[in-house]
Amino acid sequence: MAKVDRIKRQLLRDLVQQNVDLIEGRRPRPKPRHGSLWLGLRLAALALVSLALFGSSRLLSTLAEPGPAVAAAAHPGKKGAKPTLPAPAATAFAGFAAPRPVDAAIFPLAVRKVVIDAGHGGTSVGTRTPQGVLEKALTLDIAVRLKRLLEKDFQVVMTREADQDVSLEQRGTLANRAGADIFVSIHLNWIENRRSRGVETYYLGPTDDPYLTRLAAAENRESGYSMADMRHLLDRIYAGVRQDKSRKLAEVVQGALFHSMHKLSPEVADRGVKAAPFIVLLATEMPAILAEVSSMSNEDEAQLLIKPLYRQYIAEALAKGVRAYAQGGEGAPEMVAGEKGNPIHE
Amino acid sequence: MSEKKEVLRVGIDLGTSRSSISSSNGQRHVVESYVGWPLDMVARKVLKKNVLIGREALDNRSMLDLHRPLEQGLIKDGSEKDEAAVRELLWHLLSLAGADRESRDGLKVHAVVGVPAEALRINKQQVRKALQDAVDSLLIVSEPFAVAYGLEELLHTMIIDIGAGTTDLCVMNGRLPTEEDQRTLTQAGDFIDDQLMRLTRERYPEARFSIHMVRAWKEEGSFVGSTKTPVVVTAPVNGKPTQLDISREMQQACESILPSLVESMLDLLTRVQPEYQEKVRNNVVLSGGTGLIRGLGQRLEAELQAVGGGKVKVVKDPIFVGSDGGLSIATDAPEGDWEKLTG
Repeated sequence: MAKVDRIKRQLLRDLVQQNVDLIEGRRPRPKPRHGSLWLGLRLAALALVSLALFGSSRLLSTLAEPGPAVAAAAHPGKKGAKPTLPAPAATAFAGFAAPRPVDAAIFPLAVRKVVIDAGHGGTSVGTRTPQGVLEKALTLDIAVRLKRLLEKDFQVVMTREADQDVSLEQRGTLANRAGADIFVSIHLNWIENRRSRGVETYYLGPTDDPYLTRLAAAENRESGYSMADMRHLLDRIYAGVRQDKSRKLAEVVQGALFHSMHKLSPEVADRGVKAAPFIVLLATEMPAILAEVSSMSNEDEAQLLIKPLYRQYIAEALAKGVRAYAQGGEGAPEMVAGEKGNPIHE
Repeated sequence: MSEKKEVLRVGIDLGTSRSSISSSNGQRHVVESYVGWPLDMVARKVLKKNVLIGREALDNRSMLDLHRPLEQGLIKDGSEKDEAAVRELLWHLLSLAGADRESRDGLKVHAVVGVPAEALRINKQQVRKALQDAVDSLLIVSEPFAVAYGLEELLHTMIIDIGAGTTDLCVMNGRLPTEEDQRTLTQAGDFIDDQLMRLTRERYPEARFSIHMVRAWKEEGSFVGSTKTPVVVTAPVNGKPTQLDISREMQQACESILPSLVESMLDLLTRVQPEYQEKVRNNVVLSGGTGLIRGLGQRLEAELQAVGGGKVKVVKDPIFVGSDGGLSIATDAPEGDWEKLTG
């Protein structure tokens, strides 16, 4: 009994201090860890196991829901993490579903089918947080959450639902064959200035910005296309109506994303809507965007990303954007009934 | 204004579905977390109230701008109306406990409020803002911690608290749980409701029913594994009340929360120091309204076999377990500490 009382007193002291810190706006104090040797050993073992299981879906399922997996704690992400994407064997140019001009007469249409693309996967790990959490795991987790949020109102198709390699070409082909109305690709950013936190959304278009050219080249490396091939393909599509639709989708999603995330963390900046020649967007025949939903390079953002609730917020912000786009002339209003006004979903 | 001397200590469990209050004067109350304002002058005349709360609001929802202001255990983001609804709900709970706003003079209120384990700082600040006029001092705690404290399960215990909006898991090691000791999953009671709604619609597309009916069906007949008694409900089909067997749909919906729950439970266990893992495995406490799903405790025990077996205790009266825990904390916290918590 005396032991319980002693524990209670200590717990209350810590609890009150935690609340005082909250009132005064101080960050939580690091707790002295019991058994830090055990924790170190466990992390090391986890890293070894993770390496052994690298590429398996089992690893991903561990990463996905309960929290972050420390996949490779010894190798924090750094600038250039995206350019280190492994380049698979060159994809045959002919295998690519050639982009077709889009007839403006078919618009406006209802948004019924949404393709969600979880960036990276399998051997393409993307970037990683300083703690070693991989972009491919986080994008899949957010994508699965987004799917759950949207599937009540839309048909949802995922480009991947496990930790597997899916080429950029396959992602586009899958979306085209599914007859999707919109395509949303989820990625996490790595910003050179690690103090920066922000969200940005891309649609397909030309860019003169050297940073965006480098970023697109890094993301496109898996495709096997040269930049010359890209220019050839892009010439055929930039003028299409799809670009306008994509830009509008990007604007609406970026607005929802920034509004929600800035409310949670005022430091999150609006990095805007940008055009860039990402292959995964080029390969699709419907309005398509690539959303960089967080900055893994920022320590605070990386800490938040390991929390399921934060990833849920990101998914909800994306869902809000998709619904807003669906409502904004292109969508069927009945699909979003219950979202406005009365929050009771009947 | 007279100096406040008398102190009322309360524990509040603000739930997505139900909210409860336990108070040092012996009052315990639970209300459904619904708040509604009459839609127009006619509705106000009929209802004779400016705001309706709980079951009364739900029963008169056709005349109300009805809000369920908490989502996943937190105040809904970005809606002033939902923030106002939370304030109304809190004032209602306090008035039930004997601290209404009109006759509060001379009474100090010290409150402990539970929030989901992984609530972010901004969520806690929202709760603090919502309560700032209603209470004199406020202590915010993680819900599973409040449950553990109330049950005095503070050492080598795992609390699994499944509510409507969130499932909270927390390992108690005799110290304040850190982020590593806790998990919040968004698959909980509401998630099951959504699944049950979808599955029943798929099987009986011609039947008409609302989410409120689905919730009532779940509260009556939820189970995992097998059941000897089929789950049969009544819903109108082409206007005629018709009996529908939803046993299979109920099972699928209830079991839909299992994969992430089991994974999180086992993952948290692996993070416990090895010499204490067996103790924690044998002291798993299942609480919360959704924790009452028939067969869930046994199913979790079966899953624990994979790591050497364990025991799961189900809290039989989960309605007040969170608010009672909050009241225990409020009672034990020294008066001097409350003075630091007035901001």
